Parts: sequence; structure tokens; C-alpha cells
Amino acid sequence: MADEQIPVLDVRGEICPYPMLKTNEALEGDHKDVVTLDVLTDHPPALSTVPPQAMKRGYEVEIDELGAGEWRMRLTKI
Amino acid sequence: MTTDSLSLDNEKPNALRPVSGQTYAGLTVVALTLLAALFISRSNGEVAAIWVLANVFGLTLQRARFCFASAFRDLFLFGSGHNMKGILIGMGIATIGFAAIMNWIIPNPGAGFLPAEAHILPVGLSVVVGGVLFGVGMVIAGGCVSGSLYRMAEGYVASWVAILGVIIGLGALTLTWNWWWGFTISTEPKVWFPSIGGLGYTGAIAITLLGLVAIYLLVTFMEFKNGLFMPHINKKIVPAMNFDDRVRSTLDPIFKRGWPVAIGGVVLGILGIVMYTIHMPLGVTGELMRASQLGLGWMGVDVPVLDGLSTLGGCTGRSGESGLLGHTFAITVGLLPGALIGALFAGEFKLRLPTQKRRYIQSIGGGVMMGYASGLAIGCTIGAFFSAVPSLSLSGWVFGLAMAAGAFTGTQVIKRIG
Repeated sequence: MADEQIPVLDVRGEICPYPMLKTNEALEGDHKDVVTLDVLTDHPPALSTVPPQAMKRGYEVEIDELGAGEWRMRLTKI
Repeated sequence: MTTDSLSLDNEKPNALRPVSGQTYAGLTVVALTLLAALFISRSNGEVAAIWVLANVFGLTLQRARFCFASAFRDLFLFGSGHNMKGILIGMGIATIGFAAIMNWIIPNPGAGFLPAEAHILPVGLSVVVGGVLFGVGMVIAGGCVSGSLYRMAEGYVASWVAILGVIIGLGALTLTWNWWWGFTISTEPKVWFPSIGGLGYTGAIAITLLGLVAIYLLVTFMEFKNGLFMPHINKKIVPAMNFDDRVRSTLDPIFKRGWPVAIGGVVLGILGIVMYTIHMPLGVTGELMRASQLGLGWMGVDVPVLDGLSTLGGCTGRSGESGLLGHTFAITVGLLPGALIGALFAGEFKLRLPTQKRRYIQSIGGGVMMGYASGLAIGCTIGAFFSAVPSLSLSGWVFGLAMAAGAFTGTQVIKRIG
């Protein structure tokens, strides 16, 4: 799996509701046609707020912990 | 790139995973906070008990990611009632316990006395203005007072700024309190459901629980209308292959993964009851009020004698408990090590600096609004809402509705800030 081809939305440093707002904006705007989008966050609540919004837009979500307090949410269009 | 996985899909299920540095730091904080409790207990056992309960309070807020700001905001922003449902469940549980305690203090609620220490606050313009202002402030700052307190311990620098704002706001309220007292608060009634027209405890509990259920259904309906899916996150379940995995499969749901918000609500409801049994319901702004008045004193500003405070309960600054190790100190400061322990065991502690400068302005501005508002309403989301509704007080409902209106307004503001 070629990580470098997957577009990344980095919302580290942002707290609620911005990780969610920016992911929604990306899925409806700039990254509208992408199949997979990686969202990076260091805000734990985003792990439970972003997935429902992404699923509503037809994506499935896989969460991986990258290090202390940082996560990658991989959104893939179903 | 990926090191460890949150979703149990560890590539080598048989490998012993190292205990992280954050876990050791967490154990150290556990030892230190228990030592502090031991030290406090030498002068005051009750305060020591409150300190330990406050540790659990902070741990619960952190683990369940309990967030009043998101509970109100996300209803309007995304049609999500996730956090609000947890809060409603917690208040429902606390209602039963609070009623039992109040029934023990005041067996005859029609006799004209109010139970001491219950958060039965004046209802009037002050609560409405305070609620709306608080609602706007918490959405702009990205967290209410209790939320900002536990995020301070998780390493959010913006939350330190927000709490500084709260203290400044409480200072401004201190200087204008006597005007508000004369203008409206002195004539505002304290409405306690059990004392009204023969309702008694049974009627008051019924009204409160029916109200909570009605709002729960309304929230569920809002979710349904917004077509919100419940998340189904990919989880590869790996069978526990060795002792290490078995231990982790027991501990991870408590210390590693976040708690379901409903569990958080249940624990907070029970904590509120235990806290009230010992002395008084949960509240966090009393200590910040004290801090703001100390600050005013240091700056050489005369702190006026605040009218009417002795007739009010809730989160007012308590003259009798002004010591460093008073009750309000134990609750507010005690939640910090609890939240820190939660963050460290989960490996979530991180010094987080906002990437955009305007977030600092949002934090301080929202903080000042919340501070002024929580002084005016005599409590924040915890003291004037989460502890007031179970006190069978009308003020909790009015404050909650006003906060909803404020949160709606705040949502419009942050949509424009971006």
C-alpha cells in the first residue's frame, strides 16, 4: 500500500469542532473525489466525532495510533 | 509508520508489548496524589475524601471525554446527541440519589425550608443572561469550565488560556456583582419543585425524570432526522494468546480506550451523590472565584463585600472555606491529577499548541464570557446544571435552556470564524 499517494488532512493542534468541520469540508470540497483520505489528529474526542460524519458521507473508517496522543483516521469510500 | 494500533489489530499478538513511559509517569502521579490525600487527611479527613473523589471525577471526565460544550454544540452543528445523552443519564441517576438525601435533610418539603447545600439557585434574568453568555463562551472556547480544567491536565495549552479567561471573567463579575444583586438577583425566587403545591418529592422526581426522558427522546429524534449513522469502526479482534494479552484485554477498556459516554454519565451521577452525602454536590467554579479574588487583591484592587452571598448556595465563594485546603480547592484542583492519570495511562498526554493564533483569542474571549456568566448564574455546567437539575431546582432547567440558546448562537459564530 503506497502511503505517499494517499492525500493527508492534518488537523493536529485543532480541537472540537474543527477536526470534524474540516474533515467534512474536505470530503465535500477539495477531496470530494478521492477514494481514501488520511486524517491526522491529536485530539482524542475527534476519534468518536469524525467517524459518524464520514460514514454518513459513505466512507468507512480505520483508526491507527501513530504515537503518544496522535492518531490517523483512514477514510475509505465504500 | 504505524507503530501500535488502537483497534487491537496488533500484527504480533504473541509479542510482549513494552510498558510505555507514560504508564510509569501515570503510576507516579497515582502515588503522588495518594500521598497528597494522606497529607490532607492529617488535618481534615473530609477534605481528603473529597480530594480522592475529585481525582475519580477528573479521571471520569477524561476517560469518557465528557464534554458539555460538545453536548450542546453538536446538536446544532451536526445533529449529534452523543454527549447530551450521557449527561441526561447522569442527571437521571443523580436525581434519585439527591432526592433521597434531601428527603433525609428535609422530611417535609412544604414547611418552607430548603435543604442545605443543594444547588437550588435563584431563577430570573441573571440565570437567563448567565446561561446564554455561558453557552456562547463555551462553544467559542471549545470547552466549558470543567472541560477546560481536565484538558489542562491533558496538555492543551489553549485550555490554560481559557481557564485564565474564566478567572478574569469571574474577577469582572466580582466587581459588578453588587449591581446585579440590587438590579435583579435579590428579588429572584428560588423555585424548588418538592415545595410547590403539594408536589412533594414523588411529584418532583416524576417531573424531573419525565423532563429528562422527554429531552432524551427529542435528542434521539434530532439524530434520526439528521440521518446520523452510529460508527462501526473496523476492529480486527485478535484472540488473547498469552498472559500479557489477557491482562491488556481487561485493562484496555478502562485505561486505554475511551469509555462510552453513558458509562461516564452513570459514574458522574453516582459521584455527585457520594459528594453530596459527604458535604455538597459537585461544582468547580467556587475555587476559581476565590482565585480571581486573590488575583484582584494582588493587583491592589479592593474586593467589594459581595451582597447576599450568605443566602445563596451553589458555587459561591465560601468565606468559611477560604483555606488552601478547603472543599472547593479539593474538588477543582483535585480533578487535575485524576485527568492527568487518565491521559497518561491511555498514552494520550501531549503538549498541544494551537496551530492558529486566533484560537488563543477564542480561548481567552470564550473563557472571560464563561467566567462572568458562571459568576452571575452561580455555577457552570457542573454546579448550575448537572448538580442543579438533580437538586429538583427550576434554576437548572432555565440555565440549561439558556445555554442551549447560547450554544446555538456560538455555533453560528464559529462557523464564520473557521
